[in-house]
Amino acid sequence: MTFFTIIYRGLQRRPVRTGLTLVGIAIGIAAVVALVGISRGFEQSWASGMKARGTDIVVSNMGSALAPKPFRAAVRDAIAVIPQVAATCAIFVDLTGIEDSSMMVVSAREWGGFSWQNLKLVAGRMPKDALEPALVLGQNAAEALKKKTGDSIQLESTELTVVGIVDGGALVENGSVILSLPLYQKLSGNEDKINIIDVRAVPGLNSDELKQLCARINHQIPEARAMPAGEHVGNSEAYRFIRAMSWGTSLLAVIVGVLGVMNTMLMTVFERKQEICILLAIGWKRQRVIRLILWESALLGLLGGIGGVTIGCAGVKVLETLPAIHGLLEPDLSPRLMVMAVTIAVIVGVISGIYPAWRSSRLNPSLAMQG
Amino acid sequence: MTEEPSNNVRTAAMRYVFEANGLCKDFDEGRVRALRGVNFRIAQGEFLAIMGPSGCGKTTLLQLLGALDLPTSGSLLYRGVSLPALPDPALYRAREIGMVFQAFHLLPTFTAVENVQLPMFEIERSASQRLKHAINLLKSVGLEHRLNHFPGMLSGGERQRVAIARSLANNPSVLLADEPTGNLDSENAHHILDLIIRLKRERQMTLVLVTHDPSIALLASRTIRMIDGQIAADPPAPQSH
Repeated sequence: MTFFTIIYRGLQRRPVRTGLTLVGIAIGIAAVVALVGISRGFEQSWASGMKARGTDIVVSNMGSALAPKPFRAAVRDAIAVIPQVAATCAIFVDLTGIEDSSMMVVSAREWGGFSWQNLKLVAGRMPKDALEPALVLGQNAAEALKKKTGDSIQLESTELTVVGIVDGGALVENGSVILSLPLYQKLSGNEDKINIIDVRAVPGLNSDELKQLCARINHQIPEARAMPAGEHVGNSEAYRFIRAMSWGTSLLAVIVGVLGVMNTMLMTVFERKQEICILLAIGWKRQRVIRLILWESALLGLLGGIGGVTIGCAGVKVLETLPAIHGLLEPDLSPRLMVMAVTIAVIVGVISGIYPAWRSSRLNPSLAMQG
Repeated sequence: MTEEPSNNVRTAAMRYVFEANGLCKDFDEGRVRALRGVNFRIAQGEFLAIMGPSGCGKTTLLQLLGALDLPTSGSLLYRGVSLPALPDPALYRAREIGMVFQAFHLLPTFTAVENVQLPMFEIERSASQRLKHAINLLKSVGLEHRLNHFPGMLSGGERQRVAIARSLANNPSVLLADEPTGNLDSENAHHILDLIIRLKRERQMTLVLVTHDPSIALLASRTIRMIDGQIAADPPAPQSH
């Protein structure tokens, strides 16, 4: 028999209560995995979308809304002449409900701009000109909207024909409704407005030089803010809000877990008061009793954490299969996130065990003589 | 003169295992006086019975001898070392003292052989050494056929045998027994008492046994009678061996 056997038996003593506590921790950790995984995945899929378009710098005005604020289209011309800027592409991105889908990325791109170049036709064709009442759908968007070439989609009260299905090389691209910028400006009444400029820098710039270029753009263009493509979404207020919400919700779930484990361990200490006193009476040091309680609560955390990661991953996978968001969600369920979640669970366990362990260490061994 | 507190109590060559002078123990902020100036000596290898009515302070005295509690005043020496001043009473309990309780106090989620191993965690022993020693101890109390039984599967007499084996886990020099036969029928009580006396003799331990039963006290080398927290009768302690 090892010390671990004693720890394990302590948890085995009340299997139902231990099981319910594990479920409580597991739900909290599942929330951490799912919410943080989805929000991180959101950021990563935007970054990979930028990469697929070959964008080095994004110029936008990310406010508190999910879509950037519009600004004058002429800004694009001002950026295009800045040294080390190789190419620019003006875009109007909006997040809007389309037919049965409650949230769809509409990406209206400067006709002939480089942001069209990464789109590979899977079916149909590209629009013939900038004002043809037509659009192309990313593969996942076509699947979510249940559309094929030749079908029509109502956008801003106008019926547009789906002329092509494309593979954009990234989840965000494949989940988008893509059309020409002039057409969308006309349909939405946003003539002469854009809200994103994709910028390609001259080849060979390192990250520091890219940041310097951003600084030059920001100096000259007060309407919007330039950022390296990878940092664009992460620095937006909306994304920060989403991230804060996901961590905030996770924190609440974790606090519930802490209280659950603490309650269980306190009950354990109260119920096993005489047992603990007997252990003290037969020579156990108080530090060993403290270690016993802390290890038990840490083990609860570890098992709950593993359960939570499993439930969280399974839950996200189930979410991914839902028709409304199928193909539009790319959660980050990386091993790093899972290790982090289990670590949080173990820390939760240990923190929850501190007070019960302290209580147990205050017990008087002479109580062993009673009863 | 009292030695400096140390846990190396076995090395101190003293005439008496325990010496108490003016030992007092109060509870409830002095409202309950459990021991009122108790004086006694217990010699090495002695079998001392403590008798007296309920509430006379017998168990409190045993608790103080086992360093389970601290006296309110007075001195209590173990082989010349002050017990209240011990830096690590747990080590004293682990190495020097074996305790047998009236209600056995086995841990219900551990088997007999596991219960016997519990005190050994404070002593440097590997898991296999602990197991081997626990099996030998259970054999010595006649329970080799009950090694993997949980307490709930054992009779009262068997449980007390396991508790006795547990009390011997770290080869103590003193056995403190609090009414060890109090929860047993007369036949089992007789067997348990025989076992304790045999083990005491074989291991040359000092035995302090609290009992209500005059017939058990007759087996002791000396009997202290307590009334109202004081010793009413205490024959002189023999010279320490």
